[in-house]
Amino acid sequence: MALLIFFIISALLALSVFSNKNRSINYSAASVYSLLHISLSVYAYLNLNSSDSVYFKFDSLGILLNGLLSIILIPVFWHSRYYLERYIHDRKMKGRFISLIIILSTALSSIYFADNIVIVWVSLEITTVAITFLIYHERYPNALEAAWKFLFISSFGIVLAFIGILLLSVKVSNAQDSSLSYTHLQAVAQLIDPLFMKAAFLLLVTGYSIKMNIFPLYPATVDAKTIAPFPVNALTSTAVLNGGFVAIFRLYCIISGTESAVWANRVLLIIGMTSLVIMSVQLFKVKRFSRMFAYSSMEHMALVIIALSLGKPGLYAAILHIMLHSLAKTGIFLHYGQIRAYYRSGWIPDSGDYMKQNGFSAIVYLLGLMTATAVPPSGLFVSEYLILRALFSEGYSYIAIAIIVLLSVVMYVIFKYSMQLLYGKLPDNFQKDKAIINKYEPVSQIILFGLVFYLAYFTPAFVKELMNSIVQSIN
Amino acid sequence: MMIVLLIIFACTLIYFFLSERVEKHINLLAVQGTLLFIIAFINLIEINLLGLILILLETLIVKAIIIPRFLNRIRRTNNLNRLVENYIPFFYSVLIITAIIIASFFTAYSIRNHFVDVKFLAIALSTILGGIYFTIVHKNIFNHIVGIMIVENGAFLLSLAVGGEFPFLVSMAVLIDILIAVLIIGIFIDKIGSAFGNMSTSSLNKLKD
Repeated sequence: MALLIFFIISALLALSVFSNKNRSINYSAASVYSLLHISLSVYAYLNLNSSDSVYFKFDSLGILLNGLLSIILIPVFWHSRYYLERYIHDRKMKGRFISLIIILSTALSSIYFADNIVIVWVSLEITTVAITFLIYHERYPNALEAAWKFLFISSFGIVLAFIGILLLSVKVSNAQDSSLSYTHLQAVAQLIDPLFMKAAFLLLVTGYSIKMNIFPLYPATVDAKTIAPFPVNALTSTAVLNGGFVAIFRLYCIISGTESAVWANRVLLIIGMTSLVIMSVQLFKVKRFSRMFAYSSMEHMALVIIALSLGKPGLYAAILHIMLHSLAKTGIFLHYGQIRAYYRSGWIPDSGDYMKQNGFSAIVYLLGLMTATAVPPSGLFVSEYLILRALFSEGYSYIAIAIIVLLSVVMYVIFKYSMQLLYGKLPDNFQKDKAIINKYEPVSQIILFGLVFYLAYFTPAFVKELMNSIVQSIN
Repeated sequence: MMIVLLIIFACTLIYFFLSERVEKHINLLAVQGTLLFIIAFINLIEINLLGLILILLETLIVKAIIIPRFLNRIRRTNNLNRLVENYIPFFYSVLIITAIIIASFFTAYSIRNHFVDVKFLAIALSTILGGIYFTIVHKNIFNHIVGIMIVENGAFLLSLAVGGEFPFLVSMAVLIDILIAVLIIGIFIDKIGSAFGNMSTSSLNKLKD
């Protein structure tokens, strides 16, 4: 019943601020929701592996990712305050923004804990609707275009995924409540026709690829992140990607117990490598920071999918990478909000001389950059090293070498653009009097980047236990 | 009887490509919704009241009435009558959709699985592929929503082909989800029409760096 209560309270909170004009009520609702979310994570951990509200189960993966979302939500709500005060002047729209963030986070928690393939599908569709309105929050033509593309391609992907679910339901559906539960599907996976299983896997992975920002439906996600407000990007580049991962991972758990497992591994490897190659090429063309970071997320998700394609040997590294990337990318996107406020623009050529002009923030950005691009001693270096080691040990040496080359290219391009920001010539049209600086804003990023380091090198025992339990869940 | 209904359904697919008038496309969606209701009703071996209400809601009410009415309203607001921008001439498209239907029949019959009704599978496959093709060949974003609806009708037929039955609550959630998605897509189409002055995909290319 705990999740049902969580959903009801969340819906009430979202409704209460949807058209509300009172600032303190909006922020109180955000704080209450954050506390509620943390309580849910703690409750789920205390009730590990128990079922809840018919269609849900508190398993290790759900607990880990929901806990991460609880952590991410705190700085996201905190920085939403800055965003709303700087760019949104309609008081009603401020309430709507908080309300949509609550709806999005609740739908994400539903994805993490759902033990039913249809519930995951429905929850993913809810995230689509919430993200669409969040992208279009500033109501200008480019935002409309990005929101439309995201909505349309997501809807198309969701229809494809639904067809995949139908194919998976052949033979296993018996109209009982649990018939399409992951637990049940995993138990009867051997009975499903391999042709239908493969077709379902392909359709579902294609449909959910937009949520995980990977090939083939990645373009709409990249466009969306180019335009979306920075607190929204801090969620869509982390928790939403994790939602896509959960949807694909749970499917992988089903297929990994069948004769189609090797085929599925190859499909994931091809998707991962294709994503990595595409993003490395596309990265050369970017002119906006948000687009650069969107492609960086694509790179990390590609690595996660490649690690998943190795099965058990790569899964620990994949989960660690997902966790660390979530924290690092939240920090990076929140910092992007400060860059945009300082230069009054998100375009790379409009920035420059950040180190001299705004030294403390520039050092925090550099720290974030090193963390996100996995430069040692970044925590992400550990997970990337584990992924590459798994590739070598499983006999994929050529793939590992190709990945090292591609990651070097990505690192070079991202650092090249960042050097323009840090040490480049200050643009002539820069107006120092209009630049917004808040010396407390980078604090949240220092904490987040510090957490990345801590989790990688001093992983707490309970996190390790949860991660090992996830690894044991696949065949 | 069932075969006749399925053949009529396949014919509606060809009509989608024969016509250039937007209103006709919407009417064809309403016809498909009605056909789906009759097909599902005849196909029901044991009629359970909740199941019947759900099918009635999904097909007759939502697919044949609510969505076509909503799309017609958007069409009138944006003064959309005839489609002039296609990537492929409609004559070739008619040939291609015919080839899709024939290929789907061969594919469905080659699958032959005890748990799948081949005649439904053939039409479902051609509807899904036809819907995807319809979306790809049209430059007008209004027709993209029509394409998605065709694919969804194909998915409905596929559910009949595989005999997949979801619990009532889950089916309701899926139905509401689809309805909300279509309504929101419609609202956005309306906004694009007024913001960009037209509904061509060629005007939606400002995001690339």
